[in-house]
Amino acid sequence: MHPDERDELTEQELDALLPGWKTPAAPARLRTSLFGAAETKWWRMSIRIPVPVAALLLVLLAVAMWHWMKPEIEHDNGGELQPVTELRPRIIRSASVQN
Amino acid sequence: MTAQLAFDQYHQAVYSFAYRLTQREDIAEDITQECFLALIRAPHRFDPARASMKVFLFAIARNLALKHYRDERPGDPLEESRDIAVRDPSQTLEISSAVAAAVAQLAELQQEALILFEYEGMTLEEIAQIVGADVGTVKSRLHRARERLRRSLVEYRKAGNTHAPR
Repeated sequence: MHPDERDELTEQELDALLPGWKTPAAPARLRTSLFGAAETKWWRMSIRIPVPVAALLLVLLAVAMWHWMKPEIEHDNGGELQPVTELRPRIIRSASVQN
Repeated sequence: MTAQLAFDQYHQAVYSFAYRLTQREDIAEDITQECFLALIRAPHRFDPARASMKVFLFAIARNLALKHYRDERPGDPLEESRDIAVRDPSQTLEISSAVAAAVAQLAELQQEALILFEYEGMTLEEIAQIVGADVGTVKSRLHRARERLRRSLVEYRKAGNTHAPR
């Protein structure tokens, strides 16, 4: 029987055919999706903060800003009360009063 | 071996294996991603004393592909070949498509044995580890797969002869 008349391939013919099945290359985005975080540049990084912690930080920041920004009251004597050094009382009499 | 090193070394092989099993690029991508995610999330599951990294990854990919197969064809047995479609002789497929179509007609368990042996260069022992069967069973599946392909690809004899024999 002529080889081409056989109703099946030989082992060698099959071995020659099988490598003909090509596959596409794996997509490059696979690496990014798996290891993207590790390769992220530092300026693209982000951190997760729970909302209560973030709110507390904001309040603390606001209080600190308020303390820093509020106008200070200037005192000549440094703000402390001092005893009167010289007392000169001046009596003003009314013109209608008879001595 | 770190997950990143394993990815560099095996991701193309895992993707090709998943692609040949599912014949879908999107599913092959999902399977490859899931496979390496499993390694990243639970690296302790890989035990070099039990199997090589390649065998470990291919076993995960194989299970994911089987899950996909069962989702797609519930109730379809894994060990039965599908009927060979009668092709119009005038409609000659390219070799790549013809081989892909012929392999797709094989039973799922024959497909994986054939793909792992012929395309991924695995030994019978490695395939047995991946599919969880003994070497004799793998050998038998491989033999049946090749036997069936020899018949289903007969019309591509001349095209095959143009390839250099291995």
